[in-house]
Amino acid sequence: MADTSVIATYKLTKVFSGDIRAVDGIDFEVNAGEIFAFLGPNGAGKTTTIKMLNTLLLPTSGTATVAGFDIVKNPAEVRRRVGYAAQDVGVDEHATGRENLTLYGHFYRLDSKTVKQRVKELFELVGLTGDENRMVSTYSGGMRKRLDLAMGLIHQPQVIFLDEPTTGLDPQTRVHLWDYINKLAKTMGVTIFLTTHYMEEADHLADRIAIIDLGKIMTIGTSDELKKSIGGDVVTLTPPVEKDEERQEFVRRAEEALSGRPFVAQTKPADGELAVYVKDGGAAIPAIMQTLGSQGIEVKTISMSRPSLDDVFLKYTGRTIRAQQGTPTTFVQLKRQQNRRRTR
Amino acid sequence: MTSVLFDTWYIVLRDLRARIRMPVFIFISLFQPILWLVLFTQIFKSLGNMSGLEGSSYLQFFAPGVIVMTVLFSSAFSGFATLMDMDAGVLAKMMATPVTRVSIITGRVIATVLTGIVQALIVFVVAAIMGVHVETGAPGVLLVLLLVALLGMGFAAFSNGMVLLLRRQETFMAVINLITMPLMFMSSMMMPPQLLPNWLDTVRQFNPVDYTIVGVRNLMLTGYVWSDLWKSLAVLCAFAAAMVAFGTMMFRTRAE
Repeated sequence: MADTSVIATYKLTKVFSGDIRAVDGIDFEVNAGEIFAFLGPNGAGKTTTIKMLNTLLLPTSGTATVAGFDIVKNPAEVRRRVGYAAQDVGVDEHATGRENLTLYGHFYRLDSKTVKQRVKELFELVGLTGDENRMVSTYSGGMRKRLDLAMGLIHQPQVIFLDEPTTGLDPQTRVHLWDYINKLAKTMGVTIFLTTHYMEEADHLADRIAIIDLGKIMTIGTSDELKKSIGGDVVTLTPPVEKDEERQEFVRRAEEALSGRPFVAQTKPADGELAVYVKDGGAAIPAIMQTLGSQGIEVKTISMSRPSLDDVFLKYTGRTIRAQQGTPTTFVQLKRQQNRRRTR
Repeated sequence: MTSVLFDTWYIVLRDLRARIRMPVFIFISLFQPILWLVLFTQIFKSLGNMSGLEGSSYLQFFAPGVIVMTVLFSSAFSGFATLMDMDAGVLAKMMATPVTRVSIITGRVIATVLTGIVQALIVFVVAAIMGVHVETGAPGVLLVLLLVALLGMGFAAFSNGMVLLLRRQETFMAVINLITMPLMFMSSMMMPPQLLPNWLDTVRQFNPVDYTIVGVRNLMLTGYVWSDLWKSLAVLCAFAAAMVAFGTMMFRTRAE
């Protein structure tokens, strides 16, 4: 383990009953003070990874060190040094905000004076000053999430795990919460490990992003590095037809016409459209049009964009993360979800 | 060890605070025993002259049963709050802290027992107002509370252990009902033992609820029947210990 890494995994693996490899031998390191994001669709193994790192689940094989301690050999030491905010907000509705936070202070064996001081600071940090003595049942979704964050920070952990921190929140609250997460990374110097299936979230918050799919890490890098790895611009072609088979046919023919051309780096079909990776979009578009035109392939729209994380995700997994949300849940995903429920 | 005590204490506080804040809960705790005392003693009023019935009336005979029944039900459903914590993610969040695992269940059980004692006292007050008297006086009342506390401890620990086995609200409620109702009827709660059919009289020898009822009834109606009282205390201590062992084992192995 390097001096600066706060999390390091070694072939970390979790296999659930039914031979489902939820996390499949992953290796990565997270440096001190950085915001590190796991980006991937539902069922990719994000939550399972977090639950192994914060000692709620035992790995099937492999291990990891978190804050200097082995998660398998020394879970108690790990727990003392990490904070956790789960996908479901784990706040107690039948207590006030202050009672929730104070209880966690006691769990971490802080003395009463320290607890009092930290509670005051944390309410300020997450913008809940003035709401300390209200029952949590009267809090909004965003307020609960912020309280949940504060509860994970009461013991000044070295690492905090945020599992899908903004899922289920409205866009405005989400942006608001991003500010708080950024602020606590800066003011508290805490290392943040977060999972998300929102591209914008990873893009906006994370210093480095790991793209994870089907339990495997496909690539790791900064948002810029990942986008640059695409090697230029993305040109997206939309067919003039609506039916699925016809769209597939369009994608097949267009891909055949374009692949291997000197101005094309790579092509990827996605949702009945074709993404064409090119070095220089401005120069490539006329060439693409000409090639398609000469083969009698009609195009409805053609658009060019700087690569987004969605394009990166497509490049490394062969699927769009957006399409993932919309497609019917596959059997494997269902099985994973069942497992997740069972192990909750 | 000291950390277990501290954690337990904070969890007891959290639990009791939540209970006190539920007006419906307080209302039901007060209303239910009154309802049972009034309804049952009205229905079975004519049994009051029956030979073999201890006490001067059916109310006098049945009041001990209501005390035990109240504690039995409130403790047997103690796991419900843990189930709510599981579904809301509260338990998972707690488990990611260094909180001692055992104190999550011991805290819940102690809070349930304390609640049960308060509920039993409420029944005492209501029964006293209706004219029930306690043969052994104040020391007897303390012994009654000890008996029902042991019973409550056993059932609360059992209930919390079962929640981790069953994990679903519907199955949990069904299983608890399936277990508590027969335990209540397979006892001398409503009929004196000598009026029970032979097989029931045999079955009740294996029922911790019956040992509680016998102990409580003796203290309230007859006086100190030490031979029975020791037996009740011994059985209930063993029952509580076994169930606490079961519950903590479930928390050690199945809570995540």
